[in-house]
Amino acid sequence: MAQPAAKLSVSVPDELARAVRKRVGARGLSGFVARALAHELEREGVRTLLIELEQTLGTPSKANLARVRKVWPKR
Amino acid sequence: MAEALILDSEALNALAQPRERKVLASRAATVLRFAFERRALIRVPAPVLAEVCRGTRFDSAINHLLNNPGVCVFELTRAVAQQAGHLLARAKLSSAHAVDAFIVATALQFETAVIATGDPADIRRLAAPFSRVGVLAL
Repeated sequence: MAQPAAKLSVSVPDELARAVRKRVGARGLSGFVARALAHELEREGVRTLLIELEQTLGTPSKANLARVRKVWPKR
Repeated sequence: MAEALILDSEALNALAQPRERKVLASRAATVLRFAFERRALIRVPAPVLAEVCRGTRFDSAINHLLNNPGVCVFELTRAVAQQAGHLLARAKLSSAHAVDAFIVATALQFETAVIATGDPADIRRLAAPFSRVGVLAL
């Protein structure tokens, strides 16, 4: 079921607005902005979690980072 | 579709209780850091919760982690469940491995994904045909 929509009025740089409209069209703007906002909220959450984890565990070791890089698939 | 880091029960528990599980948590935090830098989404397949939730008294650390807006539960849909069944059949595994299959099927909903797991053998077997899914043993 679709969630109720809220109307927002925001200001963005003119060049950015034109680039987004060119990419998604006027009708796709709301969906694009909603996805971008949701993604940024998620990133803020992960950033907070990483700060908490790194306070407890320290920063990731180079060896562990290398292991991760090795298994992460290429796009 | 975006990239994603998929957490299994060991990864979720380690991130929820980093002081109690320091070694696993350090590895899980590393892949989380890497995922963050790649702008990947962090997802927990809903069936994983059946493995880690053991009642109100024990769930607070998991709930605290899942209340973070960056760690989202990926709901189990009919399509994902059916894909999981197909994966089990292809890998010749029984439904005793259903949660592992749900995890791999969830990973396949993304352009590329890495599964962070404490028990990589069956996950690797299920994900073997798919180069866009990486498996990281914690």
